Amino acid sequence: MPIHTPQPVLLHKIPLKFVRDKVGGGGKKNVDQSLPLVPFIDFLITLVVFLIMNFSASGELLAQKASITMPSAANTESLEIAPVIAIDDRVITLDGNRVADTQTLAQQTQLERIEGLVQQLEQLKRNWSILHPNDAFAATVVLQADVDTDFRVIKKVMFSTAQAGYVNVAFAVNKIGD
Amino acid sequence: MGGIDSGGGGGGKKSVDQEIPLVPFIDLLFCCIMFLLATAVWNQLARISANQQTPSPNPDAEPQEPDDRVKLILQVQNSGYVLASSAGDNITIPKNGDAYDVEELRAKLQQRREMEPNRRDITVAPEDGVLYQDVVAAMDLVVGEGFPQMNLSDGAGLL
Repeated sequence: MPIHTPQPVLLHKIPLKFVRDKVGGGGKKNVDQSLPLVPFIDFLITLVVFLIMNFSASGELLAQKASITMPSAANTESLEIAPVIAIDDRVITLDGNRVADTQTLAQQTQLERIEGLVQQLEQLKRNWSILHPNDAFAATVVLQADVDTDFRVIKKVMFSTAQAGYVNVAFAVNKIGD
Repeated sequence: MGGIDSGGGGGGKKSVDQEIPLVPFIDLLFCCIMFLLATAVWNQLARISANQQTPSPNPDAEPQEPDDRVKLILQVQNSGYVLASSAGDNITIPKNGDAYDVEELRAKLQQRREMEPNRRDITVAPEDGVLYQDVVAAMDLVVGEGFPQMNLSDGAGLL
């Protein structure tokens, strides 16, 4: 049995040309399609409005670290640019540079200043006064600590920042509520 | 492409149908979305500010005159809260089980607020061994109850 090219065979034997054309696909079908643009634009506008509502002009001043679970608070203010001291269960860092061990500080009962932290903060203070000679020094540090940190460690860090001239401490928290 | 069809037509009149260029409008929306996505801040971080009550780092600095106003102090101890003042009054709010009794402290702060409506300052003095989250919870409550000028100090030697 010979092999034929597949084609429509229904009503193919009727000896009328317009019938053959019709069943053989000769009658051209309109292939134009209309795209539903209005729901698409509605979706885009909804997306833009949602993103604008979440927009923050100050940007992301503080990166959330995986090793730090920050506490939550409702009565808060906006973050400002300042040196960031991060305290997790292992190390204390200033702008990412390690300055002390958390466990060591937690075990020492005496209130002692953290020399590395004080020196680096004093350096930052000098740099700031050179870069901003006409502006008043804000004397603020951002403290980003884990919820389970002993206040003894916080106290030593705050004591050291005060020794370096940073008397205002901004405690970074997760904002809850409006 | 979108368009406005006024209907009718013919009759020798000029067609008033208009085509609205939707493609540039969609391009604009896409640009907005790309910009907003790139600058989006998903984590809502904020701060609670506090001043420190510590000795001056400069030993040559002149000693400050003692403040004769009555100080209001909230001590966060391992056993609970103590709301006290330098005048001598002292309210102890023990822990409710393992948790601090925040509602009782709120009520006491509101009472204090009614007694001294013009007071804005308070000193929060946590003890060694208190967890940071309990300190922040106390500071959050203090600010929320109308004491925004908050100092943070060492618990020892204040009273």
